[in-house]
Amino acid sequence: MTPPDPIIRLEDVYTAYEGADRPTLTDVSLAIEKGEFVVIGGPNGAGKTTLLETINGMLPITHGAATVCGQDVRKNGVQVRCRVGYLLQSFAFDPLTPFTVEEVVLMGRFGTIGLFRKPKKGDYEAVQDALSLLGIEDLAARPIGKLSGGQQQKVLMAQNLARNPEVLLLDEPFSNLDMFAREEINRLLADLVGNGMTVLIVSHAFDDLPERPVRVVVMQEGTIVVNRECSPGEVEQVVRNAGREALHA
Amino acid sequence: MLEFLIQNNIVCHAVEAMLFASIACAILSVIITQVQISSIGFTMAHAAFAGAAVGMFLSLNPTVCSIVAGIGVAFLIGPLSDKARLSPDTSLGLLFGICMAVAIFFIAYMQTLGRGFSTMGLLFGDVISLYREEIYLLVVICIVAVAFVLVLYKEITAIIFNKRIAESVGIRVKPVYYAMLFMIALTVSLCLPIIGGLLLYVWLVIPAAIALQFCNRLSSMFVVAPAVAAVVSVSGALIGLEYSLPVAPLTAIIFSVVFIVAVILSPRRRVTFRKT
Repeated sequence: MTPPDPIIRLEDVYTAYEGADRPTLTDVSLAIEKGEFVVIGGPNGAGKTTLLETINGMLPITHGAATVCGQDVRKNGVQVRCRVGYLLQSFAFDPLTPFTVEEVVLMGRFGTIGLFRKPKKGDYEAVQDALSLLGIEDLAARPIGKLSGGQQQKVLMAQNLARNPEVLLLDEPFSNLDMFAREEINRLLADLVGNGMTVLIVSHAFDDLPERPVRVVVMQEGTIVVNRECSPGEVEQVVRNAGREALHA
Repeated sequence: MLEFLIQNNIVCHAVEAMLFASIACAILSVIITQVQISSIGFTMAHAAFAGAAVGMFLSLNPTVCSIVAGIGVAFLIGPLSDKARLSPDTSLGLLFGICMAVAIFFIAYMQTLGRGFSTMGLLFGDVISLYREEIYLLVVICIVAVAFVLVLYKEITAIIFNKRIAESVGIRVKPVYYAMLFMIALTVSLCLPIIGGLLLYVWLVIPAAIALQFCNRLSSMFVVAPAVAAVVSVSGALIGLEYSLPVAPLTAIIFSVVFIVAVILSPRRRVTFRKT
C-alpha cells in the first residue's frame, strides 16, 4: 500500500513580492502529512509569514510547484483558501466597526458558500459550533470593535474554524492572549490535531505547546534551514541552535 | 410616478429626482465611508467636468459626454491602484488632478475662441430642469444600486471588514472591489446634473455617517442610511421649492444639522454605568 500524498507539498518554491529585486522565499521544499503539528520559527523577516501566504496562495509563486489539499496552489488559489484557514498576524478593530462577532465568524464560510449564494442553516450552525469551541458564544451579538485584543483574536480564530479547514495556518496566534487564553487555545489545537487537522503555527512563544510530536521548521533569510521532528520541550532549543549556527556561519 | 401625490409637475420631478438619487447615493455611501474612498466624489465630479468640456468643444451632448467620461474613469480607478501599487485614495487624487487639468484646459481654450461654457449646472446641480428620461435613468440606477448590494452582500461586507481577511477566506476580492468602484462611479456621474459636483460629497458621506451613529451592524446601515437620505432630500426639495430657496445647498445644510443631532444623540458614544 502506497503512503498517502502529503497534505502540503512545496517543491523548489520561489516567491517574490511585486517589484522586489530578489525572491522572498528561495528554494523552499517541504512535505507535511495530514494531522501534523508544525511550529515555524526564525528571526523577524526570515520569511515565516511569506511561507504561510505561499501555502494558501495569497502570494504568487514565481518558480516551483505547490500542492495543498490535492490542489495546485498556482492555479486554484481560491479553492485552496476555502479549505485552508489562515489567522493573520495582529489585528485591532476600531470601536465603531459595524460588525458583530457572529457576522465576523460567518465571513469564514463566505468562500465555501460561493458567489451569489446566501448562507444557509448549516452555515449558521457551523458559526455556533466555532463560537462554542472558543468559548465565546456569549459574545455573539457584541460589536467586534468593543472587544479586547485577546477576544478579537479568538473571534478571528473562530472565523477560521467555522469553515472546518483541513489545514490551519496561524501567524502569531498568541500575541494578544493572556496565559489562561493561551493554555485554552493550546488545548484546542491539540484536539484539532488529534482529530486529523494539520496545523502550522508561526510563533515566538514555545512554552505550553501541545504534548505530542512536533515538526519544527526554522527559517533564515527566506529559506528553510531546519526541518525535523522533535518533542514539544525541544522546540525552543532547536530554534535557538539554528539561530546561533546562522550567526556563526 | 408620484403625480398622484404632487400635482405640480416641476415639484413632482424634483422630488422624484431627489428621492431616487439620494437612495442610490446613500446606499453607496455606506461602502464609500467604510472603505474610506470618499474622494471618489470629487474625482468623478471632475471626470464629468472634463467630459462635458470635451463634449462642448467637439459640439457633442455635454451630459452624455460627462457620463461617458465618468464611466471611463470608473474603469481606470481599480486597475490604476493595482498596476501603480497606489492606494485607491492616491489613485483617485491622481485621476482628480488629470480630469481637472483636462476640464480647465478646454474651458479656457473655448473662452479664448469666444465660445462660452457654463459650469454652474455641474457645480451646483439643477433639480428643476430635468427631463422625464433622466428621472427614469435615476430609477434604474437606484434599482441597480440596491440589486448590486443585495446580490454581492457577502462579498461586499467581507471586503469592507478587511480586504486581506476577505481574500484569505476564499473570496475573489479584486473583481468585486472593481465592481464596487465602478458602481459608485456610475452612480456619481448620473447624479451630478441633479446635485452638482460640489454638494454630491454630502450625499456620498453624511447618510452613512449618520447611520453609523446608531447602527452596530452593517446590514442596518444599508437600511438606515438611504431612509434618512430619502427623508432629508425630499424635505429639502419640498421646502426649497416652496420658499424659492436653492434645493441642493438647502438639503446639504439639513443633512449637516441631522448629522450634528445624530452625533449628540448617538447611543454608541454614550458611556453608561450603573452601580447596582
